[in-house]
Amino acid sequence: MRSKLIYIIFVVGVLMAAILITIIVAENVPNSGGAAHPEIAGLQIGGDGAARMEYIGTLGLAFHCLLLVQIILLSLLGVSERYRSNGLIAYMGGTLVFMLLVAWQMYSGHQQFLETDETGYFLGFPTATAWATYGTWIGAIPLILIYSIGFRKYIYTPEDEKKYNELLAEKTELMEQQ
Amino acid sequence: MDAFRQEIIVGAVAVYMVFCVLTGLWAMRRTHNTSDFFIAGRGLGPIVVALALFSSTLSGFGFVGGPGLVYSIGVSSFWMVVISSTGYAIGFFLVAKRIRMIAELRDCISLPDIVAARYGSQSVRFMIAVTIVLGVMGYLATQILAMAVVMQAILSGTATFANISLVTCVVISSAVLIFYCVTGGIIASVYTDVVQGAIMIVAGTLILFTAINVFDGGMQEATSIILADDAEAVMPYGAAGMLASLGWFFVFGLGLAGQPHLITKMMMNKEMADNRTILPMSLFGYVMAALLWISIGIVMRAAVIDGVVPPLALPDDAASVFLSVFTNPLLAGVVFAGLFAAIMSTSDAFLNIGTAAIIHDIPKSIRGKSINNELFWARIVTIILAIVAASFALYSHYRDATLVAILGAFGWGTFAAGIFPVVAVGLNWKGATVAGAVTAISAALLINFVTQLAGVTFPYGVSGQLAAFVTSMVLFIGVSLVTKKPVLDSDINRMMDI
Repeated sequence: MRSKLIYIIFVVGVLMAAILITIIVAENVPNSGGAAHPEIAGLQIGGDGAARMEYIGTLGLAFHCLLLVQIILLSLLGVSERYRSNGLIAYMGGTLVFMLLVAWQMYSGHQQFLETDETGYFLGFPTATAWATYGTWIGAIPLILIYSIGFRKYIYTPEDEKKYNELLAEKTELMEQQ
Repeated sequence: MDAFRQEIIVGAVAVYMVFCVLTGLWAMRRTHNTSDFFIAGRGLGPIVVALALFSSTLSGFGFVGGPGLVYSIGVSSFWMVVISSTGYAIGFFLVAKRIRMIAELRDCISLPDIVAARYGSQSVRFMIAVTIVLGVMGYLATQILAMAVVMQAILSGTATFANISLVTCVVISSAVLIFYCVTGGIIASVYTDVVQGAIMIVAGTLILFTAINVFDGGMQEATSIILADDAEAVMPYGAAGMLASLGWFFVFGLGLAGQPHLITKMMMNKEMADNRTILPMSLFGYVMAALLWISIGIVMRAAVIDGVVPPLALPDDAASVFLSVFTNPLLAGVVFAGLFAAIMSTSDAFLNIGTAAIIHDIPKSIRGKSINNELFWARIVTIILAIVAASFALYSHYRDATLVAILGAFGWGTFAAGIFPVVAVGLNWKGATVAGAVTAISAALLINFVTQLAGVTFPYGVSGQLAAFVTSMVLFIGVSLVTKKPVLDSDINRMMDI
């Protein structure tokens, strides 16, 4: 996986493109992208949520999950191959699981609301929306933490710094000779 | 105090503008060459870079268009904001280290410089430079127009300037912007960004507390009112639907690492290790400032549905009506100064990268060398670019309202689709080829232009920007895989091993 990462990123990209095409050619429902509010100009409404999700709900969830996978893969691409240790991959895997959990909670919470017309609230928002709002924000915090705390271990190690300074010194010397 | 509301707001904005002019004069003494003018000589500290980065991300759109979008389409618009942690993380993982290293190694002063060094290709440099100029024109015009419209709204509320014209407001606001950008270049920009960022954080935080107290039941009462009117608007994907929301996640999240005005700032820090603190500081600033986006939009939608406030003439009026109805004049003054700060911090970044593309990169890609006396021409072109963008904004406002909107919308999506694969992926993958880069940029430009100009819409809220981004990613990697593996310059090859 370490050296074949770009192929996996490519495959995930192709799968996302395929899902998008499937969604675009799927049976459409009226006002699937929203409609004008019947009484208040300037407002849009979503209308019948169940109808909007009928043909593309699962595909949308799959697209969301693949997007989260792609985010983790791209983050790993930003780490030099030799630092993609089992520990780091496990950490990134854990981050992905957390992000997928958030995505599932918002999706299933929305589905549950569509079936029951009832919702709880968390910090001002319906539960499913709270997962989307706070969960999505917090979901990538592990990436921020590993970048900041693990900077000298995974991103720019003392060994990297030494190599880079050597490269700079050689370049400067070469320019002075010219 | 309410009797002096307009005077307090005008005073706050005037103080802010005087500060910008003074910063320009101060920075002029520190600007000696093009490296100082475009990338501040790679000598900035982490706090300056962090604040400059986030304040450039949150443009006037975040203070005017953002709350307007939440008012109009509900939670769908949240997705442009809540992806910020992902966007910043991806940007730093993929771009921050490598762009800083190449900038120092090859003495680069612009993003097209970086790309030319990485791919060893003037064609890729030219295409990135043209993409930047096209995107900058639209972005800059929308920012200048927004600045003038807000200024007119503020000044027309006073007795002295009751009949002030939009043209006069364009001239005043552009003059301040041009002055500090021309005199102080990027040094003036980033130091004004620091204050602009601080104002935006304060404004965002105070507005959140104000918004929570508009309804007795706080934010939950506001969302309950919206839920009773149209549940989908306040459910996770909002009125625009699931694919529109996920499309924004993709384009605004991943696409952040493709925005030239942002990633250029990653070239400016003095120490590489500063990146570890710049990332969390930028994110913190953005989140605090963006609270305004979410809270105003939700409260205004609920207030209109509940009959507390009459329906708005335009969704973009959400922020200004909120400020006039629910805040005290001092806070309104801070927020309006914050609004100008948001607009100017993005505009100065665009002026900077647009000028670099015109006087440095396009001549270099065509003639193989830069023009003489770059610093002088940088100042001249900054003035011309701002005047052209301002004229374009006025023309669009009075003659063809779609022009600026099309180019404005074209900006972020095109940068994301055209630049992200080539820069963010290409800087981390040695197998990326010139053919892959040219194909990805061409596809991004083509799809974005065609969908915008022809008004193509896809079902379920799938946007042309999302289609362009997914396509360019796949084409970039796919074409690179099937074309001959490139031979990298020795220093670039070694840099990419680090």
